[in-house]
Amino acid sequence: MSAQLKAGPAVGAGTGRALRVRASAAVVVAVLGAVLLVPLLFPLDEQAVDMANKLQAPSLAHPFGTDDVGRDVLLRCVYGMRVSLLVGVVAALTATVIGTAVGAAAGAAGGRADRMVMRLVDVFSSVPHLLLGIFIVAMFRPGVWPVVASVGLTHWLSTARIVRAEVLSLRSRDFIDAAVSGGASRWRVAVRHLLPGVLPRAGLAAVLMVPHAIWHESALSFLGLGLPTHRASLGNMIQSARGTLLAGDWWPTLFPGLFLIVPTLAIASLAGVWRERINPRRRSELML
Amino acid sequence: MSRKSDTVRPLLRVRELSVRFGMRGGRDIAAVSDVSFDLAAGECLALVGESGCGKSVLVSALLGLLPANARTSGSALLHRPTHDGGPGPAGQDEPLDLLAADEATLARTVRGRRVGLVPQSPAAHLTPVRTVRSQLAETVRELKGLRGKELAEATRAAAGRAAFPADHLDRYPHQLSGGLAQRAATALALVGDAPLLLADEPTTGLDRDLVERTVDELRAHTGEARGLLLITHDLAAAERIADRVAVMYAGRVVEVAAAGDFFGGPGPRHPYARGLLAALPERDFTPIPGMPPELGRLPDGCAFASRCTRASAACARLPAPDGGVACHHPVTTGRPACRHREGSTV
Amino acid sequence: MTGTALPALELDSVTAGYQRRAPVLRDVSLTVAAGESVGLLGPSGCGKSTLAKVAALLHRPYAGTVRLGGEPAGGWRHRAPRAQRTAVGVVFQQPRLAADPRLTLAALIAEPLRATGRGAQATERVAQLAQAVGLGDDLLARRPHEVSDGQLQRACVARALALRPRVLVCDEMTAMLDASTTAALVAVVEDYRQRSGAALLAVGHDRALLERWCDRTVALGAVAGPRDGTELRSVPRAPADRSAG
Repeated sequence: MSAQLKAGPAVGAGTGRALRVRASAAVVVAVLGAVLLVPLLFPLDEQAVDMANKLQAPSLAHPFGTDDVGRDVLLRCVYGMRVSLLVGVVAALTATVIGTAVGAAAGAAGGRADRMVMRLVDVFSSVPHLLLGIFIVAMFRPGVWPVVASVGLTHWLSTARIVRAEVLSLRSRDFIDAAVSGGASRWRVAVRHLLPGVLPRAGLAAVLMVPHAIWHESALSFLGLGLPTHRASLGNMIQSARGTLLAGDWWPTLFPGLFLIVPTLAIASLAGVWRERINPRRRSELML
Repeated sequence: MSRKSDTVRPLLRVRELSVRFGMRGGRDIAAVSDVSFDLAAGECLALVGESGCGKSVLVSALLGLLPANARTSGSALLHRPTHDGGPGPAGQDEPLDLLAADEATLARTVRGRRVGLVPQSPAAHLTPVRTVRSQLAETVRELKGLRGKELAEATRAAAGRAAFPADHLDRYPHQLSGGLAQRAATALALVGDAPLLLADEPTTGLDRDLVERTVDELRAHTGEARGLLLITHDLAAAERIADRVAVMYAGRVVEVAAAGDFFGGPGPRHPYARGLLAALPERDFTPIPGMPPELGRLPDGCAFASRCTRASAACARLPAPDGGVACHHPVTTGRPACRHREGSTV
Repeated sequence: MTGTALPALELDSVTAGYQRRAPVLRDVSLTVAAGESVGLLGPSGCGKSTLAKVAALLHRPYAGTVRLGGEPAGGWRHRAPRAQRTAVGVVFQQPRLAADPRLTLAALIAEPLRATGRGAQATERVAQLAQAVGLGDDLLARRPHEVSDGQLQRACVARALALRPRVLVCDEMTAMLDASTTAALVAVVEDYRQRSGAALLAVGHDRALLERWCDRTVALGAVAGPRDGTELRSVPRAPADRSAG
């Protein structure tokens, strides 16, 4: 080796992304820490009002200000995030389990069963899922679980499609033939060769769905169909702050809005990194 | 057989080209080490070696397509071809170092225009959702700046040059046979009249007839004005069209020889090259024992020593290239171990 | 050829393909005796890979019979009795597609043993097979993306031999490989065939390779195929070639 080695041209390209990933991770960790720790330190009485302190602008005592009945916006934001995350995660998991089961069954069965299931998925997809979600929550009394059901039961369609496509593509690979030839049972092929290939994608779909589900929860609450109005949820907070915004009091709307947007973007950004892990560009011959 | 003469300035002059990949944990992979060769206009140089020997990394380095964790050293000077033997106008004659050029230069003035790539798998190289005509037209428009009627005409001509049938232009890649897909990819590579053609394993997975037709066509396109660097593990394809052969092993070029000498009477001089040739089914059909070393864990000395019957204590030292062969114990006699090839095959 | 025993592999008037109206194989018959090696030559698209899959009971033909050791195939893919399925070992053209990307090479080779309830012998048998195909412990611990095509194909050959098949089907086994690795893998297969008396069906397009490798080669024509239902044209290996090894 004579001369010193020159760095490849693209060496600096990754730093901006690395920063974004780090910032996203920090946001997610901070939010998780807040929703887990704050309720232990600062219990919230959801029914309490303090009319003497209503609509205070942000200050040291109330960094995010107070709302139209004198409640601390920061504390309610954290509690709201807690509810939103719970709804988002449980709904996303529900949707993923249903979607994976339907997609894997359709892909593995193939033929007429596959066609029938996928037509059914098409029919479901043709109905706007917010409308379907409203229909589901309307059947129950307001609460967390109807919202979870409403989001979870309407969002498995895309996961089912992704998982089915993945199963179909894996099924045609020679290694499945090799497994069959090597004496593997149907069950073994499904559990050992098909499922592990599908799970990363299903998991990714689940993570990507968490922000989406949080938005849905907020949308339903904003429409007055979600959680009971006294519950601290981001959607409820934005909804009840509508009147104050017109009067020029911006904080009861802005902060819950930021709590909705920033963590969901951070989750989506981390999911994007994961997606690249699953789908690496073809490695060069020598990267082996 | 060799058309290269030392007085002619080469089209491509590669000197001590090395590529290292930095891996996690600070480990380095020596993908390509100290590779030097020249390629003249009108010449076909075949770079042969087993998969994982660094051939494809070398191509990526020449095209500036290495991943971010790669570091290069050495030089790869691309000269402008001298027309009619006369020197080009001054100022335009500066060679371009492909390793030092920035991405913008490579993208705008080199790839497609001065270096054409015939890819390994044409099916993957072509966009599946567009017809051959639209892809070819886009390349012609991009490289030649033609529009309208002229563009349509030039597109047909470009297809014709690679013997791609005009009545198949409106087909999608998946509607083409392997041979036609290969011609479509070749047509794309030829559009820019690049003086240097790089063909990276252009015949992988093709039938013997198709292999022969593909490499014959590549050779025909080389003509007098172009240089062809054919990267392949198919020795029969190399024998068919190459003027010279460079054998790569564990990231190094261990032998460069005239193709006639290499495949014919005298035979290769490096023991690895001899072993590779002897493994052909037309010859001894005996493998070289063992496997090539890991590129992340190369020995200090000759990388082939552990598999070599001629190895001695001297092989603990890295052999310097000498007269086209890098070996402490090159074969100097004729080819006692190899039978003559039966003419019935290939 | 043996003559007395029943042929290890028999394809009788097989018609197969992916569209019933346009099968790629029509009325093809082929017999491979125990201990015999047959090279099946044909251009790409002639249906030779389909024939390999039919022979390995991995693809159900539209018509015709496949017999293993004289016994008609009981079904295809999972419907084939496990003993019949595992009696045929298969090696595919592209090792990258034929290897589960999540398994280490050791797990890949052991997979047929584990799938058939012989996991207990796996360690010992994998060590034997790895030695036969020339894979060291270091490579066995790696996953497919960490090894070269040649090394991965060695593992795939070891996997095909794991259950000691009576018939080995190699579909373009060496198309992606260099001359030395090709010769090495053919030597592994031939060594197994000689020791076990298994039959070999080597499918490919490289005439020089198959004529050197196999006892005889047969040619599979273009898609139309032999309509008269005759045995494929058989070209026995020239005696001069035979002595040359």
